Amino acid sequence: MTPLSYTLVITGAPWSSQAPQSALAFARELLVAGHRIDRVFLYGEGVLLASALATPPSDEVNWPKQWAGFLADNAIPATVCIASALRRGIIDDTEQARYELPGNNLLEPFGIAGLGEWVEGNVKSDRVIYFHGSN
Amino acid sequence: MSTLIIVDQPPYGTWAGREALDMVFSLAAFDQPAALLFTGAGVNWLRKQQAPDAIGQKSVEKNLSAAPMFGVEEILADTASCERFGLGPEQLVSGVTLAENLQDVMNAHSNVAFAG
Repeated sequence: MTPLSYTLVITGAPWSSQAPQSALAFARELLVAGHRIDRVFLYGEGVLLASALATPPSDEVNWPKQWAGFLADNAIPATVCIASALRRGIIDDTEQARYELPGNNLLEPFGIAGLGEWVEGNVKSDRVIYFHGSN
Repeated sequence: MSTLIIVDQPPYGTWAGREALDMVFSLAAFDQPAALLFTGAGVNWLRKQQAPDAIGQKSVEKNLSAAPMFGVEEILADTASCERFGLGPEQLVSGVTLAENLQDVMNAHSNVAFAG
């Protein structure tokens, strides 16, 4: 089997869709099978996965934390689309200062950047796989 | 390598379509060949004389008319969906190509994506 490189795009939000959960299961299996993940890109409603403030009941899985742990453990870059994020209140310290907002909530190791990083994945990765919500 | 972005969401009531348009504009901005296909309720994007002021939204007609300027290669509309939503050629904004066979359209692109 030839190892392939992947960009994963998540557009469904945690708890209103299963997209982040399905994407995480897929991502784990990719690494087990010897493939590489170039980048995870959160777009549209998917940016809500990067909220450090999501606090589900203690007997439910915390998808943002699960994803953050997976990304950090495997040193996989993860980008949150800036336009999608600002609309939905996902804010890092730079944007907090720029827009003079009362707080920030971007979960590490996610970073905020533009669609250019998705375009790059589209060009460079062997496969781009989308995980959508249900709208 | 060319990318086809498919919009199957109506222009108002969800942001998925607008975010699909941003994707196609970004591809074009980075000189990547890109085209748009509207199908299902998404064909309503292509309706002339939209007036969304009453719901406090901007008309997507303007965004869309910028597509050729940004370098988006083609704007396609699914003929069957246009018929279903009562969109005759005279109700469509200019610059739209009708597509009968969506399979052919998708086969003509190396990447195919929905925004959400």
